[in-house]
Formats: sequence, C-alpha cells, structure tokens
Amino acid sequence: MSPALVRSFPRRVLITGVSNPLGAEVARRLSTQVPALFGCDVADPVSAIEEMDFVHADTRQSVIGKLVRQLHIDTVVHMAVTVDSAGEHRAEHETNVIGTMNVLAGCAGPSSPVKRLVVKSSQAVYGAKPADPSFLTEEVAGPDRQAYGLKRDLLEMEQLAQEFSLRTPGCRVTVLRLGFRVSEGTTLGRYLSLPLVPTFAGFDPRLQLLHEDDAAEAIVRGALDGHEGVFNVAADGIVLLSQAIGIMGGTPVPILPPYGRWLGRMALRATGIDLPGHLADVLTYGSVADCSRLASTYGWKPAFNTRAVMDSLARGKDVELIEAPSPPQEYELQVYLQRRRRLAKNGHAPASLMAQR
Amino acid sequence: MYAIQGISGLSSRLREITGREVIDMNRLMEVIQFLYQQRELAKRGPDYAVDDFGFDAQWTESFLPLFNLMYRDYWRVETTGIENVPAAGRALLVSNHAGVLPWDGTMIKTAIFAEHPHPRHVRALVASLFMGMPMLSWFLRRTGQTVGHPDDTRRLLERDELVLVFPEGVKGTGKPFKDRYRLRRFGRGGFVSTAIRAGAPIIPVSVIGSEEIYPMIGDASPVARMFGLPYFPVTPTWPWLGMFGMIPLPSKWRIQFHPAVHTESHPPKAADDQNLVMTLSDEVRNTIQKGIYDNLKLRRGVFV
Repeated sequence: MSPALVRSFPRRVLITGVSNPLGAEVARRLSTQVPALFGCDVADPVSAIEEMDFVHADTRQSVIGKLVRQLHIDTVVHMAVTVDSAGEHRAEHETNVIGTMNVLAGCAGPSSPVKRLVVKSSQAVYGAKPADPSFLTEEVAGPDRQAYGLKRDLLEMEQLAQEFSLRTPGCRVTVLRLGFRVSEGTTLGRYLSLPLVPTFAGFDPRLQLLHEDDAAEAIVRGALDGHEGVFNVAADGIVLLSQAIGIMGGTPVPILPPYGRWLGRMALRATGIDLPGHLADVLTYGSVADCSRLASTYGWKPAFNTRAVMDSLARGKDVELIEAPSPPQEYELQVYLQRRRRLAKNGHAPASLMAQR
Repeated sequence: MYAIQGISGLSSRLREITGREVIDMNRLMEVIQFLYQQRELAKRGPDYAVDDFGFDAQWTESFLPLFNLMYRDYWRVETTGIENVPAAGRALLVSNHAGVLPWDGTMIKTAIFAEHPHPRHVRALVASLFMGMPMLSWFLRRTGQTVGHPDDTRRLLERDELVLVFPEGVKGTGKPFKDRYRLRRFGRGGFVSTAIRAGAPIIPVSVIGSEEIYPMIGDASPVARMFGLPYFPVTPTWPWLGMFGMIPLPSKWRIQFHPAVHTESHPPKAADDQNLVMTLSDEVRNTIQKGIYDNLKLRRGVFV
C-alpha cells in the first residue's frame, strides 16, 4: 500500500464482529485506507488479513472499553449485530442490545479516544406492515409498542446509539440501516434459491435488496467520511417476489397460509429454511426504503440495483466477490507473517522470533 | 379456432332467424383476446419491469377488455366532463366512494382509458387495510394502486401522475343502503394539503350507480371484528349465495368529471393553513354532492 492512499483520519480503527464474510470484506477494504486496523469477534476470522490485528473479544462482555483505550482506537465500526439468525432470539438480543450497550459504554467517558462510531443496523428496523408508506424514510422508524423480535431489538439498539451520540458530543455516530442481502449464506438467499419456493398465498410483495459489495462499501464510507446520522442503505429499484424467484429459475408455490405467521414458518421449516419472523413479514407485505438521504449526504449510492443483485445471485457470482474462508494453515501463516512484520518494525531481528518459537 | 368459426356461423344464422344480435361476435372476441393476452403475459417470465410502487402497466392493460365489458355493457356507464381531466401532468381526482368493493375506482380508471383522447393510467390510493388482504393487496398493487399515505400521494404527484383518492375511505364503502348518495365526512382535508404542497389541481368526480351494486342491508360487526375488517356486509345475496353473492347488481352508472379546483394557485406553505384547507375541502365536497344530485335526476331508473 502506498502512503498517499492512507488518510490522516481515521488512523486506528477497530471492527467488532469481523468474523463473517461482510466483516472480512469491510476489513479488506479498510486495510488499504487506514494505518492501523484491529478486528475482534468471538469466532476466528473467515479470512486472514495481514494488515489487521485480530483479537478474540466478546462484545457481550465489557472488554471493549479496555481495548479502545489500550489500542488508542479513534474509530469503532460496530458490526457485531446479528440480523439473520432464526430461532435463537435470546442470543440475538444479547448480541444486539447488550453487546451494543457494552460497546457504547466502552466508547463513552472522558478518557475514551473514540471520535467516530459506525453502527451496522438493518432495514428490518422498519418491520413490514400493510399500513406503511410505500417508501420508508429514516424518520418512519420510531418507538413502537407492538414491535417484537428483531425489530424491537434494533429499535432499542438505535435508541442506545442515539442517546450515546447526544451524551458524547465529541464522537460522531453513524447508523447504517443496511438493506436485505441475498448472498449464499443468508436465509433470504437460500429461500429464493429453492426450486419450488413456498410463498404466502395471495401476496407478491416488492423486494428491495442490497449487494454484499455495496454493503461493505457503505460501511467503509461510513468509517472514512463519518457523516453523522441515520442512513438507509439499499439498492435502487425493486423486483416482485415472484420475479425474484423466476430469476433464480424457481417456481413460486403460494401455499403458505396468509394469516398466522408462525404456521407458515413452521411449514417452511420442512424445506430446511428457518425463516426469521421479520423476513416472514417482509415476504408478505414488502419493505422498500428511501435512500435519498444517503445519496445526498454521501454523494454515493449502491452500484448494483435490485435487479442486478438478483442477477448476480442467479449467476452464482457472489462466491467470487467475497473471499472464501481460507484453510486453517493459511490463517496460521498469515498470523505468523503479521507478527514477523510487527517485530521487524520494532527493531527485532526476524531470527530472534524464530528462536522464540 | 374451429370453435370460434362454429360460434361465428351460429351467430350469423341466429341473426338471420331472429333479426337481431343474439351472440355478439365482437364482444366474444374481446374475451378471447383477454384470455390470449393472459397466456402471452405468462410467457414473459421474470423479464418485465414494474415501477417502484409495484405497478405493472402491461399486465394492467391486459385487463382492460374485461373492464371495458363491464363499463359498456354491464353498468352502461355514461361519462361526462372527460375534458376536465388533463392529458398530461399531475392532478388529483377526488371522488365519492360507495358499494362495499371498490368497483367505482375501477370504473373511473376504465372511463379515462376508454373515453379520454390521451388514455392514461390512474393511480388510486387504497385504505391500508386492503393492502393487508391476500389476493386483493397483490392485485391492487400490481394494477397501480398504492397505500393511502400522504407520503405516497406526494411521491405519485411529483412523478406527474393522475392520482385518485376517496377521502370518505371505508366510511363511504361501508355505509348502509338507506344512506346512499349521502357523502360522509371528507377525512380531515388531508388530500387538499397534499395537493397544495405538490401544486396539483383537484378534479372532483361524482359517481352514481355504485351505491346499488351491493345494497348493504346490514353489517355483521362481530364477524367483521373476527376477521379484522371495518365492516362485514350483508346484502340480499351475500353471504347467503356464497361466491355468487359477490356478483354486483347491474345498476345504471354515470360518472361526471367536474372542472378543476386550482389549488396550485396557492403557495405550498398555504397547506398549513387549516382554514383554507377545510374551506377547499368543503368546496370539493359540495361540488361532488351537487354532481351526484344532478346525475341522479338525469338517470331514468336504478337499472335502466
């Protein structure tokens, strides 16, 4: 990497929840832009990036505060937010609400070096109701007594982030509501890839998606540009659910009962897909976000439109766009090279490292 | 093909015998054309475009032969004042609402497509409740309707669409038969503020005939509550005859488009002037009510 590419700010970035394909992609893109990059997660990273220092840390424990102070982190990219896990609602709640609370607590206080915070949220924060306007602007999501599941957690999480931003004027907080993604690993992607896709009878909702590349780019831009506020991030245009299924070469089968969500989700489990509750609502009523604020503030919008996202999923190209998990040996090798590089920088001879081992 | 030829032969022979049209070949061909188009549309696969609201223009137009049949032959709609509808640019059509199911919206749309020199699609705003119903929500969205939210109205008007709104809402469609042709409250005049903000003229529309298609003699509200509906209609045929009860009665219809109320002459900030908004709302309401009485006088009977 050439020094000209490296920006003056942010200088030291910490990514929480880096051990997933999106996290790895964000880390890869940030690694060429910032002088020092750190990543933390519970699990091992899916691909080792030489320029990133990885540490096992659970956001559900209050370790982030110590981490940011010791490492003099100026920018935290909080990606340890799960939006696509069915069934384990308790764990999801712990990660999303308690985890975020710990991260925010770690970044707060006069001794905190953190000047910028990017929080990954989701379009799921809007839920999906028939009474919603056809295009959801950022203001539509508000306190909702009837909210349940993921929507309630995300609302609570964003509420915490907003309170933090009010209490900590020295830190700029960006909340990115990422649209629904359909790469291979996601529930929605697997659902649309079924040969016969059970749909909710009598509904053909509008789908708006977001390409993995654009999701990563949005987070990177959030970390680098740091415009304060809440932003919708989703692709241009829509496809109907039946179109999406058609693009994947499947056939929609409208057999899920239109009333009683849980019944439909139970039936879907038979096909091996555990549909999270919020996705069941999206697949019934649809959810389309208005991303004009993102376009006007960042001067950027996702490169893929919804149709192109579907086409790229159909071509199976997404596998190449995201780094495949590397074998364990390669990870070990990367860690070794990283240590060697750091020690060389500190003036130690590489030979001494060899001797230590 | 042979079947069509056979029917065609039968039709001409019947015409010779009886001296009048017994089987109308033109009408029959329209139905065949509709079925043929449906088959063609099914062949499109996923390669068709819908707009951001989910509107599929090609698919909607394929239904026009069917709706034309209802417009011309079933309800024998007479439309006046079509010249008041602009050929291009934004406008807000405001109409009375009646008849349990929104057939009046369908007929206003058909009227503009059938009678206007520059046919264009009307985008109607629908109560959010219908957007939550299976089948109906799918059909409504696909044919260009959207949810009745001020934000949606604004977006459609800003795209220079012709937007149709029923300010009475479900209070209009769900009113008992004895209250027919009496306009309900026009909401809180929200449609006027939206029109002023978007700089769109308001075109009042009076529809008669829609009140008699399903004479609602009762409302089984416990059943309605069970299904989460605003009302559960009881008519002389529904629910007694099952699905046959959903066939609307062949009343005689008239639709009148009134001259535009030029709300665009007011500055956008006038939308916050509640007094002006309510005054204009009342003006539109009175125009529609007067139009209803005028047209009722012009109609000879309910079914003729």
